[in-house]
Amino acid sequence: MTVQERIREDHAAPAGAFLDVRDMVVEYPLAGGAKVHAVSGISFQVAKGETLGLVGESGCGKSSAARAVLQLPRPTSGAVRLGEEELTHLRGAALQRARRRFQMIFQDPIASLNPRRRIRDIVAAPLEIVGEGDRAARYKRVAEMLDLVGLNADQAMERRPHEFSGGQCQRISIARALILRPDLLVCDEPVSALDVSVQAQILNLLEDLKHRFGLTLLFISHDLAVVKHVSDRVAVMYLGMMCETADAQSIYRRPAHPYTRTLLSAAPEPDPGRKPAPLDMLAGELPSPVNPPSGCRFRTRCPMAQARCAAEVPQMRRLAPGHAVACHFPLQ
Amino acid sequence: MSEPLLTVENQRTAFATGRGLVRAVDGVSFTLERGRTLGVVGESGSGKSVLSRSIMRLLPPNARSSGEVRLGGRDLTAMSEKALRALRGPEISIVFQDPMTSLNPVMTIGAQIGEVLTRHLGMSRKAAKARSVELLASVGLPQPDVRVDQHPHQLSGGMRQRVAIAIAIACEPALLIADEPTTALDVTVQAEILDLLARQQAERNMAMILITHDMGVVAGRCDDVAVMYAGRIVEQASTEDLFRDTRMPYTSALLASIPRLDDPPHRKLEAIAGRPPDLIHPPAGCAFSPRCRYADDLCRSQPPALEDAGRGHRFACWRPMTMEAAE
Repeated sequence: MTVQERIREDHAAPAGAFLDVRDMVVEYPLAGGAKVHAVSGISFQVAKGETLGLVGESGCGKSSAARAVLQLPRPTSGAVRLGEEELTHLRGAALQRARRRFQMIFQDPIASLNPRRRIRDIVAAPLEIVGEGDRAARYKRVAEMLDLVGLNADQAMERRPHEFSGGQCQRISIARALILRPDLLVCDEPVSALDVSVQAQILNLLEDLKHRFGLTLLFISHDLAVVKHVSDRVAVMYLGMMCETADAQSIYRRPAHPYTRTLLSAAPEPDPGRKPAPLDMLAGELPSPVNPPSGCRFRTRCPMAQARCAAEVPQMRRLAPGHAVACHFPLQ
Repeated sequence: MSEPLLTVENQRTAFATGRGLVRAVDGVSFTLERGRTLGVVGESGSGKSVLSRSIMRLLPPNARSSGEVRLGGRDLTAMSEKALRALRGPEISIVFQDPMTSLNPVMTIGAQIGEVLTRHLGMSRKAAKARSVELLASVGLPQPDVRVDQHPHQLSGGMRQRVAIAIAIACEPALLIADEPTTALDVTVQAEILDLLARQQAERNMAMILITHDMGVVAGRCDDVAVMYAGRIVEQASTEDLFRDTRMPYTSALLASIPRLDDPPHRKLEAIAGRPPDLIHPPAGCAFSPRCRYADDLCRSQPPALEDAGRGHRFACWRPMTMEAAE
């Protein structure tokens, strides 16, 4: 058995893991030899057809993690397996070919569309890049896809992005992302820039399309209610580390990591009967990812931190089937 | 009964654009008592921010404004710019959404707070500096004696918003307008800033108008809530009544479209079809009628007036919802 095979054996994914991320590290070099520790060794798996919600606040590394999965840019170290393919091993044309299988939609739907191009050409671009069909065949596919995302293709094809609202631009982005029929769709804060009434339309659309195309979704958001809404499982990140993963119901009912509990208590609920509770977190600021705290990274804000939390990095451990937490003193 | 702290009477604010007149605020009336908090909720383009600037009289030259804004018995719409400047700070002040653009990047934090104190309270520069440190401490800024000499770029977003609040409350205004004060912030920082605003308000008996797009933000923190749509208040009530006895279909649809932590995963959200109306050519009747599932011919032809149905619950609707319909 080679070393690599043994590593693969050790990290055997749970049955059915379609996206398997192991010990992924993302670092950005700074002048003078320092580094931004954006993602510091996270692992997660997503089964085929499942939605994993990745939640956390600014600077927790959720967007860096998502981009590293897509090899944009490649992670500093770690493994990213999609189906049978190890993406970090792919180079050049092989990576280009693999990219058909994973696509992304972004937070700002207007900024992610080229303002000078017509909608039909924006949505047809992926087909053109992979060299599929002639122009007429491509536009036919575009029209079908625009109908599927709820836009009137006849009216939309010839127009340019500025003629559409934010919600409509997000529909166009979704059409572009799905036109190659990818297996994995990464959504980075896809509804954060939208009004709530429009947000609901886009969330419903993503759910419909997920079933229709059998998509696997990695859904990134800072909004816990939105994440819970679309996710089968949820992963909570803080300052480049994974705090807790569980199925969407249990993480909200029985948060085990003090940070998860803090996030939940801070989420404003539209219910006047529920008065906002005082925040379960020490006053202060998010530590710098250039020089993160030793041990548990949440310890400087954690009301329950003890000496061990500074000395020893808590490892992810299983609390219950499907529920894991990285905390020395998890909540009951 | 004495006069309320703030009375807004038929305020209309429109902007002349190349495409025509945009009626951003289209006949808004309400009152606010001392020490009370009014939440103003609406989506983009509902007119909530233009309303806040109309009250502050901070409107661009192309704005056309009419109506009356009375603060403590004085009509702000009839005052000179000089008189208004004397009022902004000691009587009325505002906290904006983005503290990076509302603070001056080339002035120290201390100079920005001190400016208000020397100008309005006639403090010496030395006294102003000492008071600035106290104010920074009272808004929970760590190391206020160090921060007072720093510039905005040296602070995090949450800290900058604390500084903006310190400036806004420096002269103990009777009314504080907070215009989306936490929209640019993370959820835990948002909770801290909203707690801070509530604490300052209680300590100083300030009235506050909290403007937000987030029904969750107003639910726990306002005495009353006004919902705006297409430049008008479409429903206003005590927070409890607005959430529990919703009468206007737009309010109800807005509440139904919010994903909630209590929901089971994958529940289908009740999205509101369509999009907000064009404010240059608003619909003839109720502005919400094209998107309203209860709308009929009357709704489409005549705008409903905002009427009080008792206990201060006001709504503008020809086909108000009853408790049963809401369920």
